Amino acid sequence: MTSTSSPAAAQTRGTTTITSVLGRVLFLGVVLALVVFFAPLLIAQQLWMWLIVLIGSAIAIFVLYSTKRFIPGKYLFPGTFFLVVFLITPIILTVGYSFTNFGDGTRGTKEQAINSIVSNSVQQTADAPRYNMTVATMGSPTEGPFELWLLEPETGDVFRGSEEQPLEQVDASDVTVADGRVTEVPQGDVLDMREVNAVYNELQQLAVPVDDTSAIRPLSVNQAFVGTTVLQYDEERDVIVDTASGTEYSVAKVGDTEYFVGEDGRPAFSQSWLQNVGTKNYERLFTNSNIASQFLGAFTWTLVFAAGSVLSTFILGFALALILNDERLKGRRLYRSILLMPYAVPGFIALLVWSNFYNRDFGLINEMLNLNLNWFGDPTLAKVAVLLTNLWMGFPYMFIISTGALQSIPGDVLEAAKIDGASRFQATVKVVMPLLLVAVAPLLVASFAFNFNNFNAIELLTQGGPFPPGEFTRGSTDILISMIYRIAFGGSGADFGFASAVSVMLFVLTGILAAVQFRFTRALEDVN
Amino acid sequence: MSAPAASTTSSIPAPQVPQHRMSFGRWFAEIGWRHIVGILAVIFAVFPILFVISASLNPTGTVAATSLIPREFSFRHYESLLSGERGPFLRWYLNTVIVCFTVAFVQVFLSVMAAYAFSRFRFKGRRIGLLSLLLVMMFPAILSMIAIYTMISDLGKVVPLLGLDSVPGYLIILLGGSLGQVWLIKGFFDTVPKELDEAAIIDGANHWQVFTRILLPALVPILATTLLLSLVGVLSEFLLGSIFLTSDENKTLAVGLYGLLSENRSNNLGVFAAGSVMIMVPVIILYQFLQRYIVGGSTAGAVKG
Amino acid sequence: MQIRRKNFLALSGVAASVTLLAACGGDSDTDGGTGGGASDAGGASDAGGAEGGAEGVPARGDADLVIWADELKAKSLQEPAKTWADAQGITVEVQTVANDLQTNYVTANQAGNGPDIVLGAHDWIGNLVQNGAISPVQLPGDAADKVAPIGLQAVTYDGQTYGVPYAVETLVLYANNALTDVPEPGSIEELVEAAKAGGAEVVLSLPVGEQGDAYHMQPLYTSGGGYLFGTDAEGNQDPTDLGVGKEGSIAAAEKIGALGADGVLRTSITGDNAISLFTDGKAAYLISGPWALGDINTAGIDYAMSAVPGFEGMEPAKPFAGVNAFYVASNGQNAGFAQTFVGEVASNAEIAEQMFQSNNLPPVNLELQEKLSGEFPDMVKIAEFAELAEPMPSIPQMAAIWGPLGQAQANIVGGADPASTMEAAGEEIAGQIG
Repeated sequence: MTSTSSPAAAQTRGTTTITSVLGRVLFLGVVLALVVFFAPLLIAQQLWMWLIVLIGSAIAIFVLYSTKRFIPGKYLFPGTFFLVVFLITPIILTVGYSFTNFGDGTRGTKEQAINSIVSNSVQQTADAPRYNMTVATMGSPTEGPFELWLLEPETGDVFRGSEEQPLEQVDASDVTVADGRVTEVPQGDVLDMREVNAVYNELQQLAVPVDDTSAIRPLSVNQAFVGTTVLQYDEERDVIVDTASGTEYSVAKVGDTEYFVGEDGRPAFSQSWLQNVGTKNYERLFTNSNIASQFLGAFTWTLVFAAGSVLSTFILGFALALILNDERLKGRRLYRSILLMPYAVPGFIALLVWSNFYNRDFGLINEMLNLNLNWFGDPTLAKVAVLLTNLWMGFPYMFIISTGALQSIPGDVLEAAKIDGASRFQATVKVVMPLLLVAVAPLLVASFAFNFNNFNAIELLTQGGPFPPGEFTRGSTDILISMIYRIAFGGSGADFGFASAVSVMLFVLTGILAAVQFRFTRALEDVN
Repeated sequence: MSAPAASTTSSIPAPQVPQHRMSFGRWFAEIGWRHIVGILAVIFAVFPILFVISASLNPTGTVAATSLIPREFSFRHYESLLSGERGPFLRWYLNTVIVCFTVAFVQVFLSVMAAYAFSRFRFKGRRIGLLSLLLVMMFPAILSMIAIYTMISDLGKVVPLLGLDSVPGYLIILLGGSLGQVWLIKGFFDTVPKELDEAAIIDGANHWQVFTRILLPALVPILATTLLLSLVGVLSEFLLGSIFLTSDENKTLAVGLYGLLSENRSNNLGVFAAGSVMIMVPVIILYQFLQRYIVGGSTAGAVKG
Repeated sequence: MQIRRKNFLALSGVAASVTLLAACGGDSDTDGGTGGGASDAGGASDAGGAEGGAEGVPARGDADLVIWADELKAKSLQEPAKTWADAQGITVEVQTVANDLQTNYVTANQAGNGPDIVLGAHDWIGNLVQNGAISPVQLPGDAADKVAPIGLQAVTYDGQTYGVPYAVETLVLYANNALTDVPEPGSIEELVEAAKAGGAEVVLSLPVGEQGDAYHMQPLYTSGGGYLFGTDAEGNQDPTDLGVGKEGSIAAAEKIGALGADGVLRTSITGDNAISLFTDGKAAYLISGPWALGDINTAGIDYAMSAVPGFEGMEPAKPFAGVNAFYVASNGQNAGFAQTFVGEVASNAEIAEQMFQSNNLPPVNLELQEKLSGEFPDMVKIAEFAELAEPMPSIPQMAAIWGPLGQAQANIVGGADPASTMEAAGEEIAGQIG
C-alpha cells in the first residue's frame, strides 16, 4: 500500500522530536525482542503457522512504522493484524479442511487410530488377582528404567518385575510394607503418586509377562491387573493382527476413507484417520441434487431474511423517528428512552424468550390476542415470526440513528421546501429521505451483512423449522448458515470436511454478492 | 456538531399555530395521533421485557406459570444467583465487564483508525480493501470454529495466558472483529468536511494530530454509538465462549447463563430471567448516559453542508 | 514451562515499561504507530500480571485431575471429588461445560487440551471410541455382583468396557391424582380415557415440539412395534438393519398420528414446558424421567408413578435407559490419577452416594439402591424400571437417528401421512449412515 495522494502526507515532516524518534526505536526494539524470544519457542513446538504470523507481523511493523511513508498502512495495520490472524487465517484453514475427510472418526493421525485400536483391545484376565502396585526405579523418576513391585492383597505375597525381567517373588521381609503396599525397596527409589502419574503413559509400555499371552500392566497409579492385548499392529505389512484368532485386518478404502477392514471388506474398527480426499467434498455437494437444490432454496430465503430484516427495522425505526420528532410532542425523551430498551437486551436472551411466546397452545402471543395460530408449525407464519422477532430486536437501533440524522437536517432545507409549496409529506419524501439515506447507507449495508449470517436468530428461535414432512435437510426458516451448521455438526456426527466445502461455496457466493453491493456503494460515494 | 440541541428547534416548525388555541380535532390531527403511535410502539417494545422481569420475580420460575404481570413476588432467583449457589455469578459479571469493555474499546479504536485511513487517504488497494473487509465480515465465522480452536490451542502451548480456557485468550479471538465497525464509522468520517483537517495541516499539525485533536472530537457521537453497539454484541456472544471457556471462574455471563438454561429449560427460567435483568439494567443505564451524545450527535455525519 | 514462564515475566515487564515510554513519546510522534504500540504494551503487561497471579487460581493445567461434566453433574461431583483428592493429597478440578459437552470434549481431547475424566451418557461411547477419545477401564472382578446389569450392559461396547457407570435414567409415567382416578393406567387408551374423564386441560404432557423428540417418543414407538437397529449374532447393534421405515415403525406411526389427531400428543408441548404443565396442575399425566421428581415434589403435586404403558394389545412400551458413566480420556495429562479415581468409583459406592445428595439420579450400585430405598423409594423404583428398558444404542450411527426420526414423529403428530413420512425418515437415516 503506497500513499499516492493525500493532503496530510505532504505535511508529515516538521515536528520530529527526540522523544518521537526514541519512542519509535524502542517500540521497534520491543517488537524485535518479542520475535527473538518467541520464534525459537514456536520452532520447538513446530507451530509453523504462528511462526509465519509472528515474523510476518514483525516485518510489517518494521516496514510500516520505521519510516514516514505508508501513512494509511500505519492506521490500518493494528485492526488488519487481528483480522488476518483471527478471521482470515481460519478461513484459509477451513479451505484446507474442505479437501480432507476431517470429521468424527477421522480427526487424528493413522498412528493415533492404530494406538486407539490396539490399546482398546486389552482384555482383563478373568479371575486373575489385582495387585497393589509400587513403581520403583534405579535411574531417574522421570526417565526410568522402571520396575514394578506388586503385593497380592489376599495372600500378602510380594513380586517384582519389569519388561525385561520376568515376574519373580521376593521375600516380604526384604521390603517395607505399609497399608497393603510396598513402600520401600532394597535398591532404588520408590516413586510417589505424582511421579507415577507423570510417567503413566510410559508405564503403559511396561508389561510384565506372566505367561505366553498375558502380562501384568499398571491399571492406575497404585494398582496393576493381569491382561492380554488381543490386537497387535504389524508395521511392516501395515496390518492389525488378532493374536487370539489369527485374523488379519488390512487397510482398504471404504467410500472416500481408509479403514482397517476384515475379510468381508467392511471396516472392522470405527477408528479412521485424517486423509486427503481431493475435491470429493465438492463433487458430493454438486452431485447430491438434494443438497444442491436446498442450497438454492436456503439462499433465496437468506436474502429475503436479511433484506427483510434490514428494511423492516429501518422503515419502522425511521417512521417512529419521524413521528416522534415533533417538538410539540410531550414526553419525547421518555418515548425515546423506552423504545431503546429492546436494544439493551442481549440478543440470545431476547430470542429464547420470544421463542416461548410463539407456542401455539401456551404462548403469550396467541393467549393475549386470542388467536390460535400455529406460529412455528406453518412455514409462512414461522417466517413471519422470525422477521417479527428480528424487527423487535433491530428497530431501536435504526430509530436512534434516524432520530439523530433527522435532527441534523437544517431547518432551512425544510423551510425552503415549504415555501415551494410542498406538503409536509412531500417535504419528507423529497428532501428528508435522500439526505438521510446518504448518511445511513453504509449502516444498512453492514446490517445486511450481519443478518446474512445471523445464526443465532434462527437457531435460538426455530432451529430452522418447521420441516415439511419427508424433508430433513432444510427447514422453512433455515438460512444458509443454520443449514450448513446442521450438516456440519448435527446429523450423523461432525463432518467438517464437507461442511468446509459448503462454507467455501457460501463464501464465493457472498463474494459475488458483496461485489454487487460494492457497485451500489460506489454509486453512493459518487453522490457524496 | 457545536450545538446539536439547537437544531431540534428548527426541524419541523409550525410557529404560526400556537398550541393553546388548538381545537381537540386539530390537536389530534397534528399531535395526538403521534401519541397513539408512540404508545403502540412502546407496548411492542416493552412486553417481552415485562415478561422477563415477571419471570425473574415469579418464585416457581417456570415458563408455564409466568404471565406478563407477576402474581407473586419473590427475590429468590436473584438471591440464588448472587449467593453463588448457581456458579460464581459475580465472577462472571466481572469477566463480562472486562471482555466487553476491552473488546468494545479496542474494536472502536482500531475501526476508527482504519476508517480514518479509508476516508482521508487515497491509496492503492483502498477500494479492494473496503470490499474485502465487507466480504470477510460476511464469512460465517462459526464455521471456522474448529480452525480457531486449533490455533488457540497451539498458541496456548507457547503463551499459556492466551490459550484455551482463559479470558485473555477468548478476548483476542473476539478482537478478530476489530474492523467490524469500519463501514459505519467511515460513513460518518466522510461527512466531516475535509476543510477542517486541511486548515489544521496548514497550521502545522501532522496527520496523527489531525486525527486525535480534530476528527476524534467531532466523531464522539458515532463513537459512542458504535461503542454501545459493539458492547452489546460482545455481551451476547456465547457460541465461541462455551467452547473456549470451561472453568467456572473464566466464564462470561452469557456462557454461564446459557449453561443454566440448557441444563433445565423449563425450570431455570426464573434464574435465567433474573440474570438477564441484571445484564439489562447496566446496559440501559449506560444507554441513558450515552444517549445525549448519541441523539444529539449522530447528526455530525448526516449533512456536510 | 516453569523456566519459560519466568523468562516471560521478565520480558513482559521490560516490554511493558519500554512500550509505555514509546507511547508517551509518541504523542508528538509523526508516524501514528502509537496506537499499535500502546495496545501491545497493554497486552504484555496484562500477560505478566495475570501470569504471576495464576498461581492462586486453579487453571486447567494446574490441577492433578481435571474432570468435565455438564452443569448438574459437575455441581454434584464437586464435593466428593475434592474429598477424595484431599485424602490422596492431590488437587482436583471439576469443570462445567454447558454447551455440547461431547463435541467439545472430543475436540479438546484431540488437541491435547481436554480433561482427564469426562462424565456423560453411555450412548456417547460409540462416537468417543471412533474418535479414539477414551481409554478402556478395567472393572473389578466382582463388578457384576455390585452393579445393576443394565449399568454394565450399557458401558460395554464391542466386548470392551469403556466407562464406570454410576446412575441410570429412564422414562416413567407420572399421574396427577387430583386430575385422574387411574394412577397406574395399564394402557395408553386407558390413560387417555381417564384423563378425559377427569377433565384435565392437557391429557398427557409428553414433549414433542416442532422438531420432535425421539427420546420421549420411544416408549410409544416401541409399543407400536417400531425398533431402531437390529442386533447381530454377538448381540451388538447392527447398523445395517435399520428399523425406521419398516413395517413396525409404520404401525407405530399410525398410532402416534391417531394420538396427534386426538389432541393427546401436541407439538406445542416442548421440553420447555412439559414438566411445568404437570407441576402447574394442567396435565393429568406426564412422561418424564427422574429429573422431574424434584420439581413435582416442590410443587406439592399428589402423584403416582408407574412404568410407561403401551398401546392396548400391542408390544410393551420400552423407553430408553440412559446410563451415566465416568470415562477416562485417551489424551489426558493425568491418565494415572484418572484411572485411580474411576477405579475408586467402580469399587466403592461412596462417591456415587455423595453425588446423589445434590443430584438425585437413580443409582446403579446395588448396595446404594438398597440403602436409599427407604428414603427415596421412587428413585430406586425408577432404577428397577430401567432394568426393563432398553439401553440407548451407543453405536455412532445412532447420531443419524435423532434428527430425522424425531422430525418425522413431530410431522406425524401434526397430521402428516404416517407411512410415507416414516419411510422418508428411514431413507434419510439410511442415506446418512451410508
